Amino acid sequence: MKKLFPYLLIVVILLVLSSCKKESEESNDIEPTGKISLHFRHYVDGKDLVIDTLMYFNEAGNQYLINEIQYFISDLTLHRSNGKDILIRAWKDIHYIDTDLPSTHYWDIPDEIPAGVYDSISFIFGISQEKNQSFMFVNPPESFMFWPEYLGGGYHYMKLNGKWDNQDEIVEPFDFHLGIGQILDTAGQIVGFVHNDFKVGFPDLAFSISENQVLDFTLTMNIERWFKDPHLYDHDIWGGYIMQNQEAMKIASENGWNVFDMEVTK
Amino acid sequence: MKSFSDHRLFLILIAGLIVFLIISCKKSDDPEPLPSGYEPTPYEIDIPFGFPTKLNIPEDNPMTVEGLELGRYLFYDGRISGRTHPDSMMSCATCHIQENSFECGINHPKYTGGYTFGVTGIPTHHVMLPLMNLVWNHTGYLWNGKVNPNNPDPKFRNIEDLVWMGIVAPHEMNSDTNKAKAVIQNTPGYPELFKKAFGSDQVTVKNMSKAIAQFIRTLISANSKFDKFMRGEVQLTGSELNGYVLFTTEEGADCFHCHGAAGNPLFTTHLYYNNGKDSVFNDPLDRYSITGDPNDKGAYKATTLRNIEYTAPYMHDGRFKTLEEVVEFYSHHLVWSPQIDPLMHHIANGGTQLTAQEKADLIAFIKTLRDEEFIANPEFSKPEKFPDE
Ligand code: HEC
Ligand code: HEC
Repeated sequence: MKKLFPYLLIVVILLVLSSCKKESEESNDIEPTGKISLHFRHYVDGKDLVIDTLMYFNEAGNQYLINEIQYFISDLTLHRSNGKDILIRAWKDIHYIDTDLPSTHYWDIPDEIPAGVYDSISFIFGISQEKNQSFMFVNPPESFMFWPEYLGGGYHYMKLNGKWDNQDEIVEPFDFHLGIGQILDTAGQIVGFVHNDFKVGFPDLAFSISENQVLDFTLTMNIERWFKDPHLYDHDIWGGYIMQNQEAMKIASENGWNVFDMEVTK
Repeated sequence: MKSFSDHRLFLILIAGLIVFLIISCKKSDDPEPLPSGYEPTPYEIDIPFGFPTKLNIPEDNPMTVEGLELGRYLFYDGRISGRTHPDSMMSCATCHIQENSFECGINHPKYTGGYTFGVTGIPTHHVMLPLMNLVWNHTGYLWNGKVNPNNPDPKFRNIEDLVWMGIVAPHEMNSDTNKAKAVIQNTPGYPELFKKAFGSDQVTVKNMSKAIAQFIRTLISANSKFDKFMRGEVQLTGSELNGYVLFTTEEGADCFHCHGAAGNPLFTTHLYYNNGKDSVFNDPLDRYSITGDPNDKGAYKATTLRNIEYTAPYMHDGRFKTLEEVVEFYSHHLVWSPQIDPLMHHIANGGTQLTAQEKADLIAFIKTLRDEEFIANPEFSKPEKFPDE
């Protein structure tokens, strides 16, 4: 018995030592898990965006520059063939990206994701109707994205600010802002709202996550595609501001389906 | 017998090791021992309804009741200019006057038209900025944002730094920090207040700065008519509501992207824009002077519109005397330049083209941001007596 005691003590020491480790790893789920992270980048015509330089031409022939882009993506979901989809951090999954803030260009997602094979990945561009509630962000920079109550409330899905060389040869600002649209009656009064958020999917992006791996994805916004497919978007027609122009915002959100490319980072 | 005592020794050693491990396992966040007699009372800022929860309070200057009490004395005491003769004394409050939302105001008897100058008559580079809700500014202080957390020079990073700057600036107190320190050190009452606030009765510029910065961080305005409206306590008039709709719509007056609204109750982004006043830029202290980016020529910080009624004249150079003139400018007189901010998308028409009624409504709304409680709050006012009185 006395001989055993020291060994018992050693066991206790080991226990104490191991409980010293980070408290966060509390769950002893048997299921092996990995993680994912996302890099964001912004391209025009296949190359890294150069801001504030009047050097791009869109499909409609407008010469333009981009000053900054600020947007949300949400409901990032990993799809599995067994139908068990993984929604990233249920309610808190609204991620803000800002070309002016490098810290937002990388999203280190804390969720433990079951290891295995996945068929595809998808997200909502902007914020879905049920989640897009006014005043949920009180801190900048997210709070600066608020969408006025009168126009439907919640938040801008995106502010894409730039300038184009207009018909009068003036380099004129355009604010390509997306969010909740308004339905007007014949007298011009607002009688309803349209949620312009949309789903972006990558059906061909199969991948697998192995145990303890952090799989990194790169999401590329191809800016020129906002103005292209299926609708030609001409700044000379739509002008500098569209928050109160549901027709223009509809075109923008319909063009949004293939603006993004996603790949596993090499 | 021998083997038993060996055994015991072993057990004691092991037990000691366990205790040691348990202790070393604990997070070592115990505060450092304090100098005796130094027990400042922590001061917590109440976050008003809808306001950001992230505050710009440096880690090395936590808010304390004693710190900000001292800060309030120093803010109002002309002797921090290092002088004692009434004609040459200057305090922060010489220019930053509470009843004008901590600006000097356009009707100041000495700073005619709101144009401030230092003790020797050298004018300040720009007109004033209000001291209000600055604890929520994480981006930069001064019109060009020179004082900001990313300034490579650690002397220009936060409100603390504006204190020594104010003391030495030729266009402000035109003094030196040693003189300032000496005068305060020799004023009865102050050493004890420094001791209570910072644990030492030795007056330092660092601690003077910390105390004044703490006081400035308490200057919060969040009880205007608009705030009461947001809290459901009062109703706005038809004209004010109309003005609010104009303020927050692109096809209206289009002010909200830079100057906020309910969703950004600071009524500023604290960011820098060229808002279309000029086409030639020759101010050596615009935003460009800080970033070196030619697109920032003629750009300045968008100021808060809270209490804007009290802070004429308007813009960094005070070119507009009234809100009517400002609204007239945004409505009809915008000037194009390659640097015009993309958010000024009405530039092609020279402005938002508001009608006379719309202008009146817009101004009615802007006036709902007036907070009378703020400009009369006794906690912000000049102390009745200084420590030596
Ligand atoms: C001579 C008048 C004068 C005096 C005295 C003065 N200030 Fe100022 N203050 C100004 C002016 C003018 C500005 C705006 C300067 C600029 O940005 O170019 C300013 C700006 C500031 C700002 C920046 C506010 C913002 O929103 O960015 C702070 C903080 C400040 N002062 C604090 C102080 C403190 C503290 C003192 C006392 C140590 C002081 N001031 C003394 C005139 C004065
Ligand atoms: C693109 C951003 C932007 C927009 C949009 C904008 N402002 Fe400004 N505003 C600024 C900037 C930047 C300044 C400071 C400019 C300077 O001092 O030279 C300013 C200054 C002001 C001032 C003077 C502030 C002071 O303390 O002197 C008032 C008043 C004002 N704006 C009201 C408005 C109103 C009303 C609207 C809508 C009609 C509006 N602004 C739209 C950026 C903007």
